[in-house]
Amino acid sequence: MITKVLVANRGEIACRILRACREAGIQTVAVCAPNDQGTLFTEMADELVVLDGDTIATTYLDQEQIIQAALSTGSDAIHPGFGFLSERAPFARSVKQSGIIWIGPSPEAIEQMGDKMTARQTMRNAGVPVIPGEEVESEDEHEALAALVEASERVGYPLLLKASSGGGGKGMRAVYDPSDFLQSAEGARREAVAAFGDGRIYIERLLNGSKHIEIQILADRHGRTVHLGERECSVQRRHQKVFEEAPGPTMTAELREAMGQAAIQAAQAVSYEGAGTVEFLLAPSGEFFFLEMNTRIQVEHPVTELVTGTDIVREQLRIASGQPMSCGDLNIRGHAIEVRLYAEDAANNFLPSIGPLAVFRPPEGPGIRLDAGVREGDEVTPNYDPMLAKLIVWAPSREEALQRMRRALDDFVILGTTTNVRFLRELCDAQPIVDGTTTTTTIDEHWPNGWTPTPAPLLEDASLLAAAAGETMGMHRTTTASLDGESQGLPSPFSTLNRRYP
Amino acid sequence: MMQHQFSSSDGPIEVTLTRTDSGYSLAGHTLESTGDGRLKIRLSNGRIAYAHVAKAGDVWWVHLAGQTYRWERIEPGSSSSQNEGGLVAPMPGKVLDVLVKTGQEVQAGTPLMVLEAMKMEHRIVAAKDGVVTAIHFEAGDQVTQGAVLLELDE
Repeated sequence: MITKVLVANRGEIACRILRACREAGIQTVAVCAPNDQGTLFTEMADELVVLDGDTIATTYLDQEQIIQAALSTGSDAIHPGFGFLSERAPFARSVKQSGIIWIGPSPEAIEQMGDKMTARQTMRNAGVPVIPGEEVESEDEHEALAALVEASERVGYPLLLKASSGGGGKGMRAVYDPSDFLQSAEGARREAVAAFGDGRIYIERLLNGSKHIEIQILADRHGRTVHLGERECSVQRRHQKVFEEAPGPTMTAELREAMGQAAIQAAQAVSYEGAGTVEFLLAPSGEFFFLEMNTRIQVEHPVTELVTGTDIVREQLRIASGQPMSCGDLNIRGHAIEVRLYAEDAANNFLPSIGPLAVFRPPEGPGIRLDAGVREGDEVTPNYDPMLAKLIVWAPSREEALQRMRRALDDFVILGTTTNVRFLRELCDAQPIVDGTTTTTTIDEHWPNGWTPTPAPLLEDASLLAAAAGETMGMHRTTTASLDGESQGLPSPFSTLNRRYP
Repeated sequence: MMQHQFSSSDGPIEVTLTRTDSGYSLAGHTLESTGDGRLKIRLSNGRIAYAHVAKAGDVWWVHLAGQTYRWERIEPGSSSSQNEGGLVAPMPGKVLDVLVKTGQEVQAGTPLMVLEAMKMEHRIVAAKDGVVTAIHFEAGDQVTQGAVLLELDE
């Protein structure tokens, strides 16, 4: 049994896990870097350990410090979330060796899937189709680049350079012209070394016009490995997903079953345990290819939760404590869409932005879920990933889900920091989204010269009126002091009672 | 005060409010305060919309009918010291690479510098044709948001 979980993560996903633990009656410990003190997730845990260090490497990536925090607080399990240490096999191993339950698959499974080149070989051996491409194992930069250039000629253009330890679009480059190859390969290596400490790169044929379809997997120790259907996450920008949905708009029952079985095969090939995601590219020809397996909870897991009625984080806790998973047969109901809310300037090449969240007012109403890592009054800093929240909607049909997402985004008020809300809103009107014909290149094709907001001159004038009137009325000078004064109005009879009968 | 100046990409905008019985008006739109931090606006087309506003630094942020606008207020009497041709860091980060030399002629779109911020590489490109007249940072330097990275002359 798990009684106390240490969450080795921050922000939105830490909040998600801490809430799930609270609901399961499990005690929680949060760890945070000094510059995260006072943020939302640190207040959600029963206990907080402030890590000692001023970089990510010396805080959220400091394996020893985090295990020490778990031991000193008497935690019997560690949940790594996503990113950070979630796919570091040595960490999973140390956690287990310290007598702490690791909420995730075995270190061996992480290793086999985490190294993307090894994963491709494992999948080939298991009979799961992989994208045509070549792996280059050399560690030496000079040798590796030379071998990559040779391999690129055999793979053919356009191609994709990927970091073997990669993820999140880091260390990844699309190359369309051989003359750009060397510069791109150097850039990819540099980014991979900086982000993962491993500069090994491999090449895949770039299958333009493909859909990104991924299958959610759950596997327990009682002999069950099931899939929870697919998510379509084709809409990406620089290989970062921005719009995810379940079920896939063009998915058929036969294809779902075929991909689901391939995903189960992939999971079983590495004796997988817990929640995981097998990512595939679905080519225009209808063929699908293994892309990679993410051996952790995924950012877009909520869309699957909404259409299948499962709580994936809760299942992770159940499975890690040795219980059988609770979900029954796959039953997909309605349609769910998630968008990722980033602090970034979509009209300025999506540059990350910083600033205060002076106003943060999420939409409300039926079928709306917000998984946020921030709240009003927080400061968006350049220290971490610029994702602020995920907005997820559910509705009986895809059309209604899109309508609900449009309304929800229109109602979302964020002032003080530039976000991509308007971009997401206009994305919901883009024809490929409306039609469900999205591919991994949809954003680049739809906005070849970058995105700029559709002008709304009437509202722009009215907003100037609001800004000028705000200044004239001194709205920025009003404080909450007067409100506080009011709330202290009449004495409550109950406090009097309390005082009399303590 | 009923007159304000805001900066926009097309230059400063002068706004003169007209006082009404219950609020202010501009260009056919009328506005009144709701008392809860929002502003009720009757648009010139008759529609009612509620604006959320907040000021952060010199910038007024306005959310109105699904749109978010930011208007930087120009303080009365302040001279607008726009950075002519200087390329500023869009956010704090580290310079990874400088791709040009002082005196080099560049065309619009030429990559000038590579900046790392939030674990991603960002390319700083020339917005117009010109000559690089000064480079203020080298690879490895940390830069703050708004720092002038290099300067271009047309």
